[in-house]
Amino acid sequence: MAVYKRGYRRYSGPLTGRWARFLVLPRYAWRRLYRQRLVLLLTIVSFVWPMLCAGFIYLTNHAELLQGLDREFREFIQVDGRFFSIFMYVQAGFAVFLAALAGPGLIAPDLANNALPLYFSRPLTRWSYALARLTVLVGMLSIVTWIPGLMLFWLQVGLAGGSWFTANWSLGAGMVAGFLVWLLILSLVAMASSAYVKWRVVAAAVSLAFFFILSGVAEMIDNVLRVRWGHIIDPAWAVNQVWRALLGVTPTEGPGATASALALAVIVLLLVVVIERKLRPVEIVS
Amino acid sequence: MMNVIPVVELEDLKVKLGRREILHGITCRLGVSGTGKAIGLLGPNGAGKSTLILTLLGFLRPSAGRARILGVDCAHSVGDARSRIGYMPENDSFIGDMTAVAFVRQMAELSGLPSEAALEKAHQVLFHVGLGEARYRELRTYSLGMKQMAKLAQAIVHGPELVVLDEPTNGLDPAARRRMLKLIVEMKNEQGMNVLVCSHLLRDIEQVCDEAVIMKDGAIVHHCDLEQERRSNRSFVELEVTGDDRRLRAALPEIGAEGVSEGFGRWRIVLPPGVDVNAIWTLVGRQQLLVRKLTHRRDTLEEIFLKAMGHLAQTPGEAGLEVGQS
Repeated sequence: MAVYKRGYRRYSGPLTGRWARFLVLPRYAWRRLYRQRLVLLLTIVSFVWPMLCAGFIYLTNHAELLQGLDREFREFIQVDGRFFSIFMYVQAGFAVFLAALAGPGLIAPDLANNALPLYFSRPLTRWSYALARLTVLVGMLSIVTWIPGLMLFWLQVGLAGGSWFTANWSLGAGMVAGFLVWLLILSLVAMASSAYVKWRVVAAAVSLAFFFILSGVAEMIDNVLRVRWGHIIDPAWAVNQVWRALLGVTPTEGPGATASALALAVIVLLLVVVIERKLRPVEIVS
Repeated sequence: MMNVIPVVELEDLKVKLGRREILHGITCRLGVSGTGKAIGLLGPNGAGKSTLILTLLGFLRPSAGRARILGVDCAHSVGDARSRIGYMPENDSFIGDMTAVAFVRQMAELSGLPSEAALEKAHQVLFHVGLGEARYRELRTYSLGMKQMAKLAQAIVHGPELVVLDEPTNGLDPAARRRMLKLIVEMKNEQGMNVLVCSHLLRDIEQVCDEAVIMKDGAIVHHCDLEQERRSNRSFVELEVTGDDRRLRAALPEIGAEGVSEGFGRWRIVLPPGVDVNAIWTLVGRQQLLVRKLTHRRDTLEEIFLKAMGHLAQTPGEAGLEVGQS
């Protein structure tokens, strides 16, 4: 029978579980995100570098193709920590722009349209809402970061053999962990800017400015005070330092990986507090 | 004896916003779960109606006391309580770039409906509220009345036991208002949902509610069973006649009624239970009096409200009761 003839009857069937309900927000958000051409285009473009890296891995594992090349150069092009760190820098850059493009569309419209009371009047807590929004971004950014990274890693394992895996498994684990730290920070920054600025474009600009401004301030501190610890407030620098430690690459001059990891933890904590204060079904003016 | 679960149960409920106490120890039991009745929440601005609703939804935590919805504690079992509620907020609340059907479906899925069932219910409920033809339009293109209906649709799509409606007729034209009130009545009568309506419009509450609670300064100042009021008020009659009405007082006991003359042919009469107004017509006809006016004088909710606010010393119904007693 046609819907319009059926009339409304209260639903009395089975209900879904907590996880299925949790995934409702990400599902709808992903669908809406990939309808944006710019997001889709940037996602596609961000696969170019992993493809090139895959070609590079293929090349390094086929000695016959490298016969004509200089010996020093052949030693230089190795699939090691440095290779993965270069891969990560490029993909991390794409991730920054993707987060700035997609992030503001997550919370800002809900705040602008006062939709939070509708969400929170359902069995959905503020934390699960925030976590669902975080899942959207982390999920979307994973597609262009650690997932292709892991595929490259397994490609290398497949071509180089089990012995390479035994000697370098920490590269794969380090890359995934390093990317997840970066995605967490990117997503929280995008969510925070989206929670405070209702206009998408401005929220995207704020999200990008966060990294540039902190980087500038860090540089200023270092130069004015003639120190090296100023960089610790620059999340991009700090995460780079952590990555280097995870991939076994020589760290840059300045605070070490532990101090950088601590600084990142403080930044994450501050961002969580900032988001928590804004995501309320009703605004209470004391 | 059957265990009766009230729709809303408040025990010395106190709620603070910042340092200011908004609700001052409210205690009451409203409605009975599963009976399909509507409760009206009335009060002037700042009375604490919205604070009470937000507390029932678990948005605000009580500073003392308890609030329960359908027997579930609103502060400690928020998830349970919310899964049984549908909420229609007063202000615009939607996601502008979603179509009505996608929006309502998403809300249904968040309430726990499986995806397919959510889609089916979204279509059904949108037809039910009169948005069937506009269900594929983005919500931002809707008129105010359509947005109100879309809000109602998302509130009832999952078939909640209790629907909380905050100013449901706000900004609606008369036709849309009538439709909204009709839908509320259908919700309780046909779907068996309990409804909690918060409104400034006394006539709306009077029209659809079975119980009314009047709040003032963070406390409940009056709680009345409107159905009972309607029944009891049927016994008060205002009569205006021309002709010699001197024998009317003596004749009234013939039908078991009592009355008092206010002069110039005006009478206030109290009918006994089981006697309806036709008996007055017959009696007055026998007295050969010409009836100029005969009305059931019932206390309107407005009069009850004004009395609760302290603007009236007594309602006309109470005045009538005094006549009957004298």
